[in-house]
This record gives sequence, C-alpha cells and structure tokens, in this order.
Amino acid sequence: MPNFSARIMRRFRALFRADVVDADLSDEIRLHVDLEADELVRTEGLATAEARRRALAAFGGVGRYREEHRDARGVRWIEQRLQDLRYALRGLRNRPAFTFAVVVTLALGIGANAAMFSIVDRLLFRAPPMMRHPALTHRVVMSTYDRGEEDQATYIPYARFLDLTRDTHSFSRTALFTEVELAVGPASDAREMQVGVVTPGFFSFFKARPVIGRYFTDAENAPPRGSPVAVLSYGFWESHFGAGHNVVGEQLQIGATIFTVIGVAPHDFVGLWSDSPPVVYIPAAVRGGERATGLPASESWWTTYHWTWAQMIAERKPGVTMAQANADLSQAFVRSYQQELVGSPHQQPLAIAKPHAWAASILSNRGPNESSLAKVATWIGGVTLIVWLIACANVANLLLARALQRRREIAVRLALGVTRSRLAAQLITESMLLALLGGVSGVAIAQWGGAILRTRFLSKTTTATVMTDPRTLIYAGLAALVAGLLTGLAPLLQTRRMDLNRDLKSGAREGSYQRSGIRAALLIVQGTLSVVLLAGAGLFVRSLRHVKAVPLGYEPQHVLIVETNMRGTRIDSARSKALVDQLYRGVAGVPGVISASRQLTMPFESMWSLGLTVAGIDSVDKLGRFDLDAVSPTYFTTMGTRILKGRGITKDDGAGAPPAMVVSQAMATKLWPHAEPIGQCVRVGEDTVPCTYVVGVAENIKDQDLGSDDAGLFYYLSAEQFHPDQGGLFVRVHGDPDQMKEPIRRALQKYLPGSAYVTVTPIRDIIGEQTQPWQLGASMFVIFGALALVLAAIGLYSVISFNVGQRLHELAVRVALGATGRDIARHVMTGGLQLAAIGVVCGVALVLASGHWVEPLLFAESPRDPTILGLVAAVLLAVAALASFIPARRAAQVDPMRALRGE
Amino acid sequence: MPKPADLLQGTLDLLVLKALLLGPLHGWAISKRLRALSSDVLNVGQGSLYPALYHLEDDGWISAEWGTSLEGRRARIYTLTPLGRKQLAAERSAWRPFSAAVDQVLQAN
Repeated sequence: MPNFSARIMRRFRALFRADVVDADLSDEIRLHVDLEADELVRTEGLATAEARRRALAAFGGVGRYREEHRDARGVRWIEQRLQDLRYALRGLRNRPAFTFAVVVTLALGIGANAAMFSIVDRLLFRAPPMMRHPALTHRVVMSTYDRGEEDQATYIPYARFLDLTRDTHSFSRTALFTEVELAVGPASDAREMQVGVVTPGFFSFFKARPVIGRYFTDAENAPPRGSPVAVLSYGFWESHFGAGHNVVGEQLQIGATIFTVIGVAPHDFVGLWSDSPPVVYIPAAVRGGERATGLPASESWWTTYHWTWAQMIAERKPGVTMAQANADLSQAFVRSYQQELVGSPHQQPLAIAKPHAWAASILSNRGPNESSLAKVATWIGGVTLIVWLIACANVANLLLARALQRRREIAVRLALGVTRSRLAAQLITESMLLALLGGVSGVAIAQWGGAILRTRFLSKTTTATVMTDPRTLIYAGLAALVAGLLTGLAPLLQTRRMDLNRDLKSGAREGSYQRSGIRAALLIVQGTLSVVLLAGAGLFVRSLRHVKAVPLGYEPQHVLIVETNMRGTRIDSARSKALVDQLYRGVAGVPGVISASRQLTMPFESMWSLGLTVAGIDSVDKLGRFDLDAVSPTYFTTMGTRILKGRGITKDDGAGAPPAMVVSQAMATKLWPHAEPIGQCVRVGEDTVPCTYVVGVAENIKDQDLGSDDAGLFYYLSAEQFHPDQGGLFVRVHGDPDQMKEPIRRALQKYLPGSAYVTVTPIRDIIGEQTQPWQLGASMFVIFGALALVLAAIGLYSVISFNVGQRLHELAVRVALGATGRDIARHVMTGGLQLAAIGVVCGVALVLASGHWVEPLLFAESPRDPTILGLVAAVLLAVAALASFIPARRAAQVDPMRALRGE
Repeated sequence: MPKPADLLQGTLDLLVLKALLLGPLHGWAISKRLRALSSDVLNVGQGSLYPALYHLEDDGWISAEWGTSLEGRRARIYTLTPLGRKQLAAERSAWRPFSAAVDQVLQAN
C-alpha cells in the first residue's frame, strides 16, 4: 500500500484538526461555487445572485456535500463515537445516584478481582523475572514409593544433582538451589535474612549480568568446602554498602563464615524467590562444607544420598519434548537410585520404590507439593470472579431498569430516524463508560485494599503494587471491558423487542409494565452465586473452628520457645552443656515464668528421628516415622501434656542412670498392640546400643501436620541422657506470652558467648502459621460473601422498587378495586421472595454438586453440611425479605387517586 | 430537472486522472475540463468530485497543494503522480473491454 504512513498521518489530521480540514474544504467549495457562478454570468449572462443560486444548486447542497466528504475522510465513525460519548456523559451526569451506584458496584467487583489477580498471578502464572527461557525451564521432581505411598520430592541430595546432571542429555543447563535463613552482617547488627544457596550454573538461567563484579565460578563451588565468596542482591548492596562501587573484596559475615563479596546482581534479580528474595547468594559447596559436620566419616556431603537439602532446575534443550525429557530424567534417576542402593542396602529395592522423575513447572506453587496458601489463593481468586459476576448482573439490572425508564426517549429517537445500530452503539458507549469509571476506581481499590491481601499471601518483602504492574492493569482493563460489554448487552436485547408504536403512545406509564425475563434471571443468578459464596464462607469458618479445636496434646497458649543461634561461635561440648544448663536455670528466675523444660525439637518447625530397634519387630522403620524430643523432668507440666500411664521423665533419669523414654499412646499401640509398653526395651539409633526402657505413656500430640488424621508416633528421652549439650527451652509463663518475649530474651542473652544470640517465640505464633490457610480462607470468604450478599440485596431492592414504580398505576387500580395495603405489600414481597427462593434452590444445588472440589480445602467439615446450607438459605431469604419489604411498604401506601391521575 | 447520470465511482476516478494527465488543475477547473472534453455531456463534479479527489489523493494517485489559480485565487491544485499515471494506464486498458461489454449487454435483444 503506497504512502501508508502518510495516509495514517492524514487520517489523524482529519480527526484531530477537523476544524482546519473543514476550513480547507470550505475554501475549496467557495472557490468552486464562485468560479461556477462567474462562468454562468459570463456564458449565460445571468445576474450575479441568480448565477450564485444556480451554482450552489448544481453543487448539490453544500452542507450535504460536506458530510459526504467527511465520510470519505473516514473519520465519521470516530466522530460518531465521540458524539455518543458526550451523550453518555451527559446522561450519567444527569443521574448522579445511578452513576454512583453502578460505578461503586463495578469498582468493588473489578477491584477485588484485580487485587486477587495480582496475587494469583505471582503465585501461579508469572515466570520468575529475568528468566532466559521460562517455557523451557523446569523444577525436577523425583518420585518414589514407600509403603505403597507415592512420595514426590523436589528436595534432593547434592549427589543426586550430580548424577542427574551427568546422566541426562535433554538439558542445556542444570543447577541446584535452595534458600536458607542465616544471620547476615557483622555481630553488632546481624539479622536473620534470606540467603540464596546456589551452584554457579544457577545464574546462567537468567538474563542478568552482574552490575558489578561477577558471579561464582565452578572452581569456587568445588568440594569439599568451596570458596567463601558472595554475590550481593542489588537492594542489600544499596542498604548495607551504600551502593559503593568498590564493594568487590569487602568482607561479609553470613552464618558462621566470613565471605568475600565478588559481585552485585542486577536490580530486579530475585532468582526463583519472587516472594522472598535473598539478600545475598553463596556457593552451594560452602553451605555443604559448613553443614557436613554431622555426617559419618565414611561419607562426604557431595556423595551422600542421606542429606536432602536443595532443589534442582533444568533447562530443556530446544526441540526436546517434555516426554523425552521426562524419560531421560527417569532413566538417570533410576541409575542414581541404584548407586544409592549400593551404599544403603536398607533402602526400598528398585522394584518397590519404582523411582521416576519428571520436569515440572518452574513455579513451585504449580505443584507438586504446592503451598496450601496457593490453593486457597486460587480459590479466593475464583470467589472474586463470582463477586465480579454478581456485580455485572447488578449493573446489567440497573441499566435495564434505566433503559425501561427511557423507553419513550428511545422510541422517539427511533421514530426520528436514529438507526438501531446507532442506538446500540450509544447504549454500549454508556455501559463502557461506566465500566471504565468502575475499572479506574477498581484499580484504586485494588491498590489500597489489595495491600492488605498481599501481605497475607505474599511475603512482606514483595513490593508488588497494582498500579505499576502492567499484567494486573491489563487484567483489570479486561475485567472492565467484558463487564461493559456484558452489562451493555442486556438493555440492547431489550431495545430489540421494542414496539415503537406502543412505547410512543404510552411512554413510561400505564400498561408498560411487563415482567422482564432477563431481569428476573439476573436476580436469580445473583441469588445463586451469593448462596455459593456464603456457603463457602460458612464451610471455611467451621473448618477454622475445627482446626483450632484440634487436640494438640499440649496447651500452646502460654508457652514460648527459646532457641539459640551460635553463629559459628564454636564452643566445646562441655561449655555448650554448661550454657544450656545456665539458660535452663536462668529462665526460672525471670518474673512471670512458671516453669521451663529443655527441648531439642520444636512443634511444626523441626523434627529428629532415629532408627529404632525393638525385639520381636522385624523393621520398626516400616511402621512409620518415630520422632523424638529430649526433655527435662518439668516438660510435661510445662507443656500440659498428660501422662496416661507410668511416669514422666524425672530427676532420676540423669546422666548415669539407665536410659528412659516416655512414648506417645499412638507409638505404644503401634509397637506393642497386645503387650504392656512399660518396661519394654527400645534401642535408639544403632541396634547395638544399650536398651532405653519405656517408663511411661503420654497422650498423643500433634506436632507436624495439623491437617493429617494420624497421631504422631512420638517419644521423649531425658535431656540429661540424650545430647545434653544441645537444644533450647520451652517456657510456660503467666499472662500474655507476647509480653514475656523481651524480658526472657534480655535475661538469657547475657549468657551467650561471642556473636551468638537467642530468639524467643510464642508457640501460638508457630501454630498460627499452620492455621493460616484456613484463617485466610475463612476471612476472605466471609468478606467476599458479605460483599456478594450486599450486592445481591441492592440488586433485588433496586429492581423491586423500580418495578413498583413502574406498576404504580396497576397497583392503584387494584387498590381502587378493593385491595388493601396489606394485599399490595404481600403481592410485591411475594414477587421478590420467589426470585430469592429460586436463587437459593439453584445455589444449594450448585454447592451440593461441587462438593468434592471443595472437600480437600476443608478441615473435618463436610462440604454438604446441612446446617450451613440451611443457615445460608435463611440468611439469603431474610435479606431478600428486607430488600423487598421497603418497596412493598411504599407500594402499600399508594394513593389510588394520585396514581390514576398521574402523568 | 433530470439528474445527470451518476457516474460509476471507478469511472469518475478514471476521468479525473485523465483530466489531470494534461496538467495540474484545481477542483472547479477539473470539472470544467471534463465538461469540455465530453462536449458538455458529462456534468461531473458537483458534489461527488471532491470526495473522489480526496480518496484519489489518499490512494497516492494524485497530490494536492495550495497554490494560486489562473484566476488569481487561493486554490488547491491537484497534480497527477507517477503512480496515478500508471493507474490511469491500467484503468484505461481495462475500460475498453468493459465499455464494449456494457454496449453489448445494452444492445442485446
């Protein structure tokens, strides 16, 4: 096409400089007419005025011509749209209450959606920033079978990573990565921060050149210890090194080790941790070397298969299909597993374990082992979509009502020759304009209101905002656009059915009332969706109550956990034991402390399990995982765990005494279903060690997975007998544990040597984290369910009162014929309640049908709970009754004379 | 007054291009030249001329410039572009078979 850009320019000029173009045109026409007139004077000897008239007539009407010319300019379409826009603006300005109601409704719907989208997008859809080939990059998942159950693992030993990297051919690069929380910085202002532990190849997955210096080399990641070099994140470089350009070579203490800074990552680089970006990246080998101290002498951290501590990513070569890559990975995993079997013959044999591996999404929340938070977030995203639908239904209803009111105006316009397509364009323009206003307000709501949501779902370090995020803005724009089209469609359907003659004659008055199928359907949809959301809210609230009522086997409300972090301050075992004793005795002196106990593991945070040998049982390991804690004699009173049989750990279970253990009831039943557990001998660890005798049975505790039905197989050893030089404390206090955190920390910190420090955490905070998904689900469903209910109530109210307004005449006739006010009110209310009742029936049916989708999210709660469904139905009907009562009362007070005389 | 024969859109384009082949002209002069060339049969213009001029310009077959007319007035002068010249040649060769065909249709009995 010739001169394409010139043509575009001309179109633009025609549109935006219409005055200039019109002026040009006027000049041209004037010239034409003048010359034509002159010609007529000259050739036919006409008088000037007559010549001019003839010239103009021949031209065919200047005005008409100019319109045609504009059509040819191709701008008429846009001009008409602008006209429609002005028309719509005028209409909306004239009805501020209507406009306000619609905009607020849409804003709530769109705002809730945009806010949730910004979260769900980050959890489930958005590729990690700066990733080179997000579509080709995968997390490697390994699956084995143990006791018939599939175990899908993403955390693997370093040796496995080496095996898979060596034995696969489908991948152009692989890397190992994990994130750990370590004390970063010099002793004076050390804080626990996220540290990215990665192999050198990790950085090559990203298009992220270091802004200063370089990333690690393979040599710096070489076993056994690697080189203590660190790459700073941009933010940390700014905040802790003042963005200085000679940062390379600076020293930084991370954990126990002093690192040398070798580079700074670019500004937006967060690795794979969008929601908790590391402040600094260190080589995997350094971390491996530091942590290898617990391994037997025969093994090293890079050859053992017993220490699983990091995840693997791999980038598929272009052209390699997923099936090929997965087959390749599985094959390599089988070889690696065989290798593992050589060193540990107790492992499940190949035929039972059936090891296989596959390449999963790079986004950990896409599964497997996704966080329950992500699941809940997805659900709540769905909920906000329903809220949006309800908002759309509401707005469509309001627009319909308005279109009905404007029937006469519309009929007049049609009669005057406005084409129906033009009319449709005007209606759509109006609804689009409303949607636009709603969208803009919605984004504002999402920006401010969504901040609260984001801190709940994403880590607080994420600086995600709605307004600066193009993806969220596009989503909000789409939500607004579709809302505008959908809501504009309803009145359009209405105009198609318009009977011009009747409407012109009757206007918005007598006889024009008719039941609108669309509006009734919209109300029913709203009712249905509200029931679904309210039922969801009910189910989550009940689940939350169940979660909180789970018998833990201890009383967490007034107990705090004391942990020490040595930060590499190395002290020998004797001094370490002295320190633990000091802490144990010292905390007793803090005012407000009732009792304290030593501990090695914390509920939900850490566990310790060892192989057990029991006479008469073939393989104790096959019965399940047995976790231990080593505790003081005061443990059971401190935690509030009851001893059911025998005795607890006592002072007599000292260093020299025979080893004692207290087992949980579940463990007792598992190991000795038909025998007396007290007095049994259990060998803890190796099968050659002396017996540990069971001295008591304690009630079951929940310390790992709140959601699982299994009671923990748990046993308690005496802290004096099992690693007396390690661990922290449980402390029971009077009153609010939050108030006691600081006094305890201050009292204990003075015992700690070097840069070591002590942390104090109320157990209820840790349990709070466990219940967070349900907490979040409950609060979100309640909020959005209430929002939906309010919207539905407003919808019902506005439609019924509008109907009453339209039917005043008919109602007045009824009154004149002898109907009482009560009859009228009942009549109106029945109409509203009928719609609500249909909505309730549909909603309940929907909830019942979708039950099994919801079930996994609930906690000990049937998704078809009749109480909840009954309650929801009652609430919705009550609200519907209220919403129709107000217009019904007004209808009952109708004055027949006035209504009949009206208009 | 009988309406002057409405020219097929393409025909008017062809005529305008032909008129401009003889040299740059402003709007009225084009209509006058067409009238003269057709011995006063084709009374083009009046109203359909300017849209045609606009879209011919849009297609790049003619170009326009503000200048001074022979009559000494400010006028928009249209010039045939090389592209327009080619177009004219193409339309011209298409025209003959077309008009012959129309004749044949009209004379058929």
